Amino acid sequence: MLAYVIQRVFQSAIVLLVVGLVAFSMFRFVGDPVDNMLGQERTQADIERLRTQLGLDQPFPVQYFKFLQGAAQGNFGVSYRQGRPVSDILMERAPATLELAAVSGFLAISIGIALGVFTAIRRDGFAANAIMSVSLIGVSLPTFLIGILLIYLFSVELGWLPSFGRGDTVKIGGWSTGFLTESGLKALILPSITLGLYQMTLIMRLVRSEMLEVLRQDYIRFARARGLRDRAVNFRHALKNTLVPVITVTGLQLGSIIAFAIITETVFQWPGVGLLFINAIQFVDIPVMAAYLMLISVMFVGINLIVDLLYFAIDPRLRVDRTAAH
Amino acid sequence: MLRSAGFAAVFIATATAGVAEEFTWAGTTDPQTMDPHAVNSAPVLGFLNNVYEGLLRRGKDMRIEPALATSWEPIGAGEGWRFTLRQGVTFHDGSSFDAEDVLFSYERASDESSDTRSWFASVSEVKIVDDYTVDIMTTAPNPIFPDSISNWMMLDAGWAKANDAERPDKDNGNYATLNANGTGAFRVAVREPGLRTVLEPFDGWWDETEHNITRAEFTPIQNPATAVAALLSGDVDFINPVPIQDTARLASNPEVKVVQGIEARVIMLGFPHEAEALKYSAETSDKNPFSDVRVRQAVAHAVNVPAILQTIMRGNAEEVSQLVSPAMRGYSAPLADRPAYDPDKARALLAEAGYADGFSFGLKCPNDRYLNDEAVCQAVTGMLAQVGIKATLDAMPVQNYWPELRADNYDMYLLGWSPGTFDAEHPIRFLASTPNEEKKLGSWNFGGFSNDRVDELLPLIQSEIDDAKRQAMLDESTKILQQEVAYVPLYVEPLVWGAGANIDLTQRSDNFFILRWVTVN
Repeated sequence: MLAYVIQRVFQSAIVLLVVGLVAFSMFRFVGDPVDNMLGQERTQADIERLRTQLGLDQPFPVQYFKFLQGAAQGNFGVSYRQGRPVSDILMERAPATLELAAVSGFLAISIGIALGVFTAIRRDGFAANAIMSVSLIGVSLPTFLIGILLIYLFSVELGWLPSFGRGDTVKIGGWSTGFLTESGLKALILPSITLGLYQMTLIMRLVRSEMLEVLRQDYIRFARARGLRDRAVNFRHALKNTLVPVITVTGLQLGSIIAFAIITETVFQWPGVGLLFINAIQFVDIPVMAAYLMLISVMFVGINLIVDLLYFAIDPRLRVDRTAAH
Repeated sequence: MLRSAGFAAVFIATATAGVAEEFTWAGTTDPQTMDPHAVNSAPVLGFLNNVYEGLLRRGKDMRIEPALATSWEPIGAGEGWRFTLRQGVTFHDGSSFDAEDVLFSYERASDESSDTRSWFASVSEVKIVDDYTVDIMTTAPNPIFPDSISNWMMLDAGWAKANDAERPDKDNGNYATLNANGTGAFRVAVREPGLRTVLEPFDGWWDETEHNITRAEFTPIQNPATAVAALLSGDVDFINPVPIQDTARLASNPEVKVVQGIEARVIMLGFPHEAEALKYSAETSDKNPFSDVRVRQAVAHAVNVPAILQTIMRGNAEEVSQLVSPAMRGYSAPLADRPAYDPDKARALLAEAGYADGFSFGLKCPNDRYLNDEAVCQAVTGMLAQVGIKATLDAMPVQNYWPELRADNYDMYLLGWSPGTFDAEHPIRFLASTPNEEKKLGSWNFGGFSNDRVDELLPLIQSEIDDAKRQAMLDESTKILQQEVAYVPLYVEPLVWGAGANIDLTQRSDNFFILRWVTVN
């Protein structure tokens, strides 16, 4: 058991290091930050001085090593553009992304499961077929287009919801929340639908097909033969057994909700880490880009590690094989 | 449920209509700092013009007018300038403004850590004569010095010292990066970098108030479609810029209006004057056709600027014949005609230069720096092909573009230039002077254009006090640059702002949004 855990943690660390290395080797293709930092009246000497000062004149493995040195001590450097510590900026922006991701995830799971069950039970009904057709939009339309369509419908045409931003926020400790104000809650609606729509349709379709599969099983037939009510059969016996693969997929999707928030945040000017990253690319703000990429990869690697360890805990065969081999 | 939400929204909308003087606006770039001396960039200086003030400022027509100085005059035969300061001016924190603050702001803005130090290159000393008189001495007569310091903003010496912000700190930031204490019409009430900046009117402002704003909020919105939607839905009252392709649609909407004008920025084509040979040519790899003035003339005649403006700019820009727009000081009015579109003449010139069969070359272009820059380059490529010279277009983001130009990786390139001093001397110094690192000349003259007479005239222009004589020398320089086709100036970039129909505002050609000229009706 312990050997397995150590091995997985070790592998995760290597993945992280490689991601960082690839990221740093890409940064020089993003462009040169010095022009933006110096403005119109710079001289060649200014450019060279700044490049030396930022360490841009060094080969990228050296730059990467310095970044790792700092990161190991919790220091992600100072943003080229804002002149403030990157960790401060990330801490300021993280609540926006996490709240958006939480609401999107909640919407995706609750609506996705409800609609999935509904379409499975009323397989041939008109409403179920209509939902299945409409759900194709969720999987086929790109996120930014859905976002812009929603803005035009609900903000420009109907004027019900704000077209951008996060509304008013309340500070609780270091956390700024939009959950406690009316404008904050209203501002959450469109972005969370946009961000969660893909996951929602995915969960819905997954639940539907799993449920149809389960409903065909013998024990469901026996349950019906025993004269149990539909509700008990559908929810107690069928749905429970449907949820095992759904939970696995949903867990993995959680990471992508946060990572893919970039597009939604750009369309809605949502002040989260994704928007921060997009701006950082525009201004070649290498410390911000590096910290964001590392953060996201830590998250993905972390989720995968947890899933791996859960499998190990759940699946007895894995355990037996391992112990037998040692 | 949805309907009740709708009613709620309507109710809120009418509730807020009573305090209509709240004004919100959006731009693509957040000012990265509140420190007026840290960086020399238009988003920062434009924004801070609402908060801080200089000794003088620019009016609605771009002319300089008194601000914190009531008058100024040259000292002797051009040894410097004497500024008489306005009395009774206070900073937002209540402390008063006097000559000490001017001296402090000079030391701060000309410090090694400040990007604005080049404004003071000619200054030898700043002397306090009395509490409200300051002499700024220059190493040589400098007739445009007052013009060049309209964005030099005054900071309170005591405030900066008390908050440990005596010098700007771009690298790590300090108190002045996030806080402001100016003398301007608005003070910074809330500053959240990248999210929003809230301004409130300063009750103790010395000048007469023209606006009726009680609170103004700025939000950066990078995505143009989102900004347009925010304007249309009434979430913001003003956006800058409006995407060119949306201007017609917005103009036809009665609830919003489009305010158009031209900016100070001239878009031009540049050549590799010094290069031995073309770098990206399939066949002409042993020589540089662009070193022949006839080839450069041919390019000037081959580009159909009116057609570019009509189609790509949708009639929003104006063609230009020189490196500055007509709105700038020192523009050469007699030289206003640009080479006519004449493909036959272009072909004849090419044949004369020995390129009757044309040649191929590489055109470098940014794709996110100027309005529709890549589309303009594509059009230029097509037009040049019609006279037989075949460009291969390579368009890239601007952060990759400047390093390429610095490394001389181009055969022709697109450049936009906005003169920081709003004077014709500026582009001559940066774009047309023989590059000289020590004298800080020609630092954006990537192609290495060099003309002895232009180099000779520049210091004379810089120190000539007499306006007529100065203009004559500027005219001579401009004429040489036109004859030599140092660059092919194409057009002046348009300014397209969008505002709610109930907003009155003034557009200034430096693209600064001045809040004190805004009225919400």
